[in-house]
Amino acid sequence: MNMTTRMALVCTTALLGGAAAAETMTIGITQNNVGVDSYQTTYEKAFIAAAEANPDVEAVVLDAGGDVARQIAQMEDLIQRDVDAIIIWPTNGEAVIPAVRKAHQANIPVVVTNSNIAEQGFDFVASFSGPDNITQGSRAAEIMCDRFTDMGVEGEARVVQISGQPGYTTAIERAKGFEDRLPEVCPDVTLVETQPGDWSREKSQQVMEAFLVKYDDIDGVYAGDDNMGVGALNAAKDADRDGIVFVGATNFAVGYEAMADGDYWGSIYQSPVDDAEAALQTAIDILNGEDLPFLNYFDTPKITQENMDEFEKPVF
Amino acid sequence: MATLNRKDYIKRSAIWGFIVVELAFFAIVGDVMSVSDRTFLSLDNMLLLLKQSAPIGIIALGMTIIMINGNIDLSVGATFALAAIVLLDSLTWPFMQALGDWAIPLAWGFALMTGVVLGAINGLIVWKTGVDAFIVTLASMLGFRGLVFMYNGEQPTSHLNWTLVDFAEAQFLGLHTATWFLLGVALILWLVMTKTVHGRNAYAIGNNREAAINAGIRVGPHFMLNFMLIGFLAALSAVIFYSESGSVNPNDGMLYELWAITAVVLGGTKLAGGYGSIISTLGGVIAIQLLRKGLGHIGADTQTVNLVIGLILIGVLFLDRQLNRQGKEELKI
Repeated sequence: MNMTTRMALVCTTALLGGAAAAETMTIGITQNNVGVDSYQTTYEKAFIAAAEANPDVEAVVLDAGGDVARQIAQMEDLIQRDVDAIIIWPTNGEAVIPAVRKAHQANIPVVVTNSNIAEQGFDFVASFSGPDNITQGSRAAEIMCDRFTDMGVEGEARVVQISGQPGYTTAIERAKGFEDRLPEVCPDVTLVETQPGDWSREKSQQVMEAFLVKYDDIDGVYAGDDNMGVGALNAAKDADRDGIVFVGATNFAVGYEAMADGDYWGSIYQSPVDDAEAALQTAIDILNGEDLPFLNYFDTPKITQENMDEFEKPVF
Repeated sequence: MATLNRKDYIKRSAIWGFIVVELAFFAIVGDVMSVSDRTFLSLDNMLLLLKQSAPIGIIALGMTIIMINGNIDLSVGATFALAAIVLLDSLTWPFMQALGDWAIPLAWGFALMTGVVLGAINGLIVWKTGVDAFIVTLASMLGFRGLVFMYNGEQPTSHLNWTLVDFAEAQFLGLHTATWFLLGVALILWLVMTKTVHGRNAYAIGNNREAAINAGIRVGPHFMLNFMLIGFLAALSAVIFYSESGSVNPNDGMLYELWAITAVVLGGTKLAGGYGSIISTLGGVIAIQLLRKGLGHIGADTQTVNLVIGLILIGVLFLDRQLNRQGKEELKI
């Protein structure tokens, strides 16, 4: 049925004279590890749905199961099958570079999705589609500043930061975005100290416990993601310190729940559905010959207690 | 006697028959179901298949000898990861960087040495304590993996060297570098197992350890040699694979021991020891990779692939048991 419609479409367009435009494109994707968390599971579902909704796209959906060797084999298979474009969610940002180079040498454009590969591989990549961690950090700073202004403490507020695991680009960028933006919007707010929470809720709780002992006056806590933010929140609750504004850089289900309870102020909403659709759209745009920026970010909006009704609870 | 030979023949060639069935299935179904324009059975795709079989294949070939001995080695995946770390990390050592590209063979040497030493540790413990190899290598699997994580925490260890990559990606007479190593190792081990005293001893020990000891075979050193061999092969597999990819995650190589054992068992080697063949293991390795590749080609997901391989493994063992039982009954009559 679907097939006949498509055939009919192709024939009509051919008759009209513009045959080339209606040709279907085959896009292969090799994902990191679909079963491991619900972000990736939702991503895959959204990707398949988006590909099926587009009559011009045939998708080959593969999953490396977290195994680098299997991902490289899948890259080779996709090259061998001569797909029109390859989307890769790297299992390891460096190990896949030679495989990406192979695709590049075979003139197959490669789109990296969600987390980028290492810089040595940039020459072989057509585009990166994913969240902009710097923007996430700077938007978190804006949320924090707006809240301080509402509370009337923007002239003297003191903030501590709990960053992600040292060495991770994501952690560095989310910290940088926040640190650069905060003095621009709230010049009188001071960032008193930054400590890594290693993306761990327990570690962040310990870090926050130390902060609470060290500083009598803390007005705001910025965490690299909600997991760490909720760890810090727990520490503050245990110490009976309230009136602290908690802001994260990526909204998790735990953060969303804490927001619903009124304990946690805001975060940045990153949807796996947007992530998947952006990756597919990037590949399609490249095949249509459109000019794209090398770093092709999808939008990650602000979410706070005030507007959280507009968003569904995150699946992760 | 004639029937026995025929049965033996069926058992030995069963894996190749299975591969032919797989090929036919994917050739026909693949062309109907796949969205790809390329046929599955193209020469390039089959050459790629051999190359992709190499990482687990080289380990499985060594595992065959261990299992013919009646032993098992669960630590090969961790050895694989540790050898890979030594390979990539040694290339960043200051004195190695001063050597330029001459550091590459040296780094290979270090990695292979690591494998041999880890294998020797296993072999020595099995030899001197008499504890079952299953337990010894289960412990060393955990221990070696612990070392992997101690080396660099959760972070990947990386060193991308394009000379290495170009070597690993090279094709000579159409075959990839990894394929040459796979076939080379298969040839050497086949010669060892069929033409040398060591090979005959391996079967003898697996068949009846008591009898082998009584016949004067030094079982302990024999085991140790084989564990060093499989350690070497696990490291060799890592050397070939990571020369091409240049970065190792601390959990790389996990479950490789089970995939290797699966390939060996598919090839007809007995878990109890005393029976098996290198060439059939090669068939087992190819059969697994063919399944993975073929099911991927027709659009099945990873979970389905694992389910199918599991079912086939049970089928093979059941069939094997049936063939053996009939053999015994026939002998009684």
